[in-house]
Amino acid sequence: MADKKMELIQGTLDLLILKTVAQGPVHGYGIAQKIMLTSREKLQVQQGSLYPALHRLERKGLLKSEWQESDSGPMAKIYTLTPAGRKQFQEERAQWRRYADAVGMVLES
Amino acid sequence: MGFWWKRAETDLDREIAHHLHVLAAEYERQGYSRKEAALLAKREFGGSEQIKESCRDERSWAWLNGTTQDMVFGWRMMRRTPVVTVAAVLSLALALGANTAILSLMNVVLWQDLPLANPGQLTAVNWQAHGFPRELADGASGSMIREDGRSVADFFSYPSFQALRRSVSGKAQLAAFSFPNQASVSYDGRPAVARCRPVSGNFLTVLQVRPQLGRLLTDTDDSYGAPPAVVLTHRFWEQALASAPGVVGSALVINNKPHVIVGVLNRSFYGLFPGDGTDVYTPIHDEALLVGPGGKRDLDDNRFWGVSLIARRAPGVAENDIAPALNAVFPTTWSRQPKDKNKTPRIRLDEGRRGLGSLRRDFRNPLLVLGGLVTLLLLIACTNIANLLLARAAARQKEVATRISLGCSRSRLMKQFLTESALLALAGGIASVAVAYLTANLLGEFVSQRGADTVPVAVAFDGRIVAIAGITTALALLLFGLFPAWRASRMPSAIWLKEGSGSVGFSPRHKWNIGRLLVLGQMAMSVVLVMSAVIFTRNLVGIESGDPGFERRNLLMFDLRPGTSGYEKARLNDFYFNLEQRLAATPGVAAVGLASMRPMNIGGWWEDVQLIGRKSSDNASINGVTPNYLPLYTSRLVAGRNIQWTDIASDAKVAVISDDLARKLGGTRVLGQRLRFSDGPPGAIAPEYEIVGIAPVIAPTSMKDRPYAVWLPFGKENGSATVVLRTSQPPRVVLPAVRRTLSALDSHLPLIDVITMEEQISKGLQRERMFATLCDGFGILALLLSVVGLYGVMASNTARRRSEIGLRLALGAMPGEVLAMILREGMALAAVGLLLGLPIVWLGAKYLETELFRMKPLEPASIALAVGALLAAALVAVVIPALRASGIQPAQTLRQE
Repeated sequence: MADKKMELIQGTLDLLILKTVAQGPVHGYGIAQKIMLTSREKLQVQQGSLYPALHRLERKGLLKSEWQESDSGPMAKIYTLTPAGRKQFQEERAQWRRYADAVGMVLES
Repeated sequence: MGFWWKRAETDLDREIAHHLHVLAAEYERQGYSRKEAALLAKREFGGSEQIKESCRDERSWAWLNGTTQDMVFGWRMMRRTPVVTVAAVLSLALALGANTAILSLMNVVLWQDLPLANPGQLTAVNWQAHGFPRELADGASGSMIREDGRSVADFFSYPSFQALRRSVSGKAQLAAFSFPNQASVSYDGRPAVARCRPVSGNFLTVLQVRPQLGRLLTDTDDSYGAPPAVVLTHRFWEQALASAPGVVGSALVINNKPHVIVGVLNRSFYGLFPGDGTDVYTPIHDEALLVGPGGKRDLDDNRFWGVSLIARRAPGVAENDIAPALNAVFPTTWSRQPKDKNKTPRIRLDEGRRGLGSLRRDFRNPLLVLGGLVTLLLLIACTNIANLLLARAAARQKEVATRISLGCSRSRLMKQFLTESALLALAGGIASVAVAYLTANLLGEFVSQRGADTVPVAVAFDGRIVAIAGITTALALLLFGLFPAWRASRMPSAIWLKEGSGSVGFSPRHKWNIGRLLVLGQMAMSVVLVMSAVIFTRNLVGIESGDPGFERRNLLMFDLRPGTSGYEKARLNDFYFNLEQRLAATPGVAAVGLASMRPMNIGGWWEDVQLIGRKSSDNASINGVTPNYLPLYTSRLVAGRNIQWTDIASDAKVAVISDDLARKLGGTRVLGQRLRFSDGPPGAIAPEYEIVGIAPVIAPTSMKDRPYAVWLPFGKENGSATVVLRTSQPPRVVLPAVRRTLSALDSHLPLIDVITMEEQISKGLQRERMFATLCDGFGILALLLSVVGLYGVMASNTARRRSEIGLRLALGAMPGEVLAMILREGMALAAVGLLLGLPIVWLGAKYLETELFRMKPLEPASIALAVGALLAAALVAVVIPALRASGIQPAQTLRQE
């Protein structure tokens, strides 16, 4: 069971995307890969939600994008964090930690 | 926007392509072939279209862009079925246009303020009493109506006006006016006929009418000996004088006396009520117009009540603030005090802001009835559009199901369907403006009152009315469009896809689905409209085809006013005698007679007549006629003798009465007895007449009322007369010769209101014709619309049941049975709709009844006609789908499965 890939908890995808992009410019595929790798393949991002989420974040002004030549062939749409995105990321991360701690405390008591 | 949309779409495509490429490369590295890798990547990525659709919804301007897309799509859908779309838009345009037109007319007639400053300050000054105060007046000119058992009248003596005006000075300004007189006028040598309304000098200033040119009349203009001055209405200036620029200061000749034109009123002032036909405002003291039936009127006579009053209250002064002063002064102006307190007139103040006169009272009920009917028509049209949208949504089941499974959001789908109905509404709304514009002035003609004082009501379009009509339709359509949209967007995709792919078995649809319910409602409403059409048409035909008691063809009539064209009283008798002789000798004229009252002109001269020695009296229509008048209508009298020239010359008090009156009074025994006018235009001594003849019954005033008639000798000093000609050729052919004869007799005497008897009769039936024409239009439209609606529902039902019917036929059903089945279903639908509609008709019948003549709204013949017409129409609508269904080839439909 430990190996089973987990569905993302509602609302956490945005945070994961922001975190991934905060580490440096990256394209959509790269974001999905990175999340999978860093979660040791426990978190699986559905493509079906990844791209709509990216577009949503871009619309909110948290991400910006640029078409760039990629090492892997065709032009890739590379996402970077905007200052607003960085601020949002920090807030959401703090919030998530408080939330996870709280849930943890309840579960461990 | 298109550019941005495209760019975003390519962006997305490229982004997804990139993702797939990288993914495929990954698989290739793991050892798969290029082809396998691409396949695996695609599989892993999932439905790219679904993702695209979600991304589109995420884009910030997606909503707006979606709307444009929906509109383009809606337009394409409409173009695919042009006939249906045009029919829908057209029916909406007609129904909405008719609504706007009637609403505008209602606004003008019932609700609109007079186009004057501060109309709320205007008050109509009337009086009320139990019956006419015969002791106080010898003559009157004005109108008197019965209201709650009392008489309300609008006429006062001129001395009363002067005293009343003084009594409220400071609190309100009082002005007087009379009915317009038709007079022969000429400007710059061009003759015309003008309706001249005598008014007090302050009348136009009290109303606060703005002059377009020159000035208004003043009190100085309105006095004996003042240079005769007149003010023209804008319409008269424009139409009769061709907007001549230098009119102010030049002369208008009225009844052979020159008058100075001192001003022209502004265009927006239409008079005291919509359709007021006044052409020229003249001072009351103008001697050229101070002529009544008996010659000159003495303005100082407090026993002739001939002016009506309007007041403008000063700001802050209420009606109750001036009523006591008026009531205190009014009795002091009478020649005596009435013995009967009940017959003592009391001042009564009525609202004046919406105009004076009887127009609003006369047309309130008819307009409300028409308004109700036209609303039903709009509902029927909207129902049709809802049905159309439903059918279209059903036809697009597959497409919608596909889009839903591809991830199109349901709200997005709904928006698209709503956009489509909004487009239809918009197109219909725009087209309706044209319809409204074209019909409104036609309606205005219908609503003009019968008298010669009026012109057709000009229906001005009020932006608010157009807005109300438009918003109502938009709301109705959104409501009607919402359900199809909602239903379409709620389809569970899987089921619809399956069903669409080849409906296996019978689709067990509910027997009464929404489309059928809509058609039921439509049928029910159509019953009301078709029924109204039948009722009002039968009403009109019934009246018109009635027997007036004479041959109505080949009769021509016109008025002459020698009394206002310079003829002395002494010359009038000779003039009339000559006139008859000369006209009788004119080619094409078979006979000529003169009357003091125009026949078949409704209203006229009425008296309560009483046989001397009898208690009871009867109301009768009176006319003064020459010896040749009755022979125009009837070849011989029932008994006794006709009026003779010697009667006229000697002022003999003799009378010919109608046969029905004679029968009422005791048959031929009445010959030689004396008849007294016991009521009517009040006289100090009731005149008595010896009955010398009995004439057959002929309709004297209209095709509707058949009052008793009494004919007296024509008054030899009458200032005016109606000439009636019996022609041996069509009247219009004879007219030029008649004009020549008259011109030879007196070239300055204009022929006023030249009209044939048939036209005169139809003029009296204007209101009946208005109802019949409009309701026929509504009824036909309703019939067409419900045929289309029923056809649509039956056609789509049978189309859906193709496979079921095919199977039935394959299993041995006869085509005739299928035909009967479909016919039965369709006609059952129509019949249920009919049954639902009849109670509505029954409920509305009492509103129709007041507009009918000797007819009940719910006569069996009317019901049979309406139901027959609707069932016949329904049969037409059902028979086509039924025939199509019975012609289904079972092999073909089964193969399609």
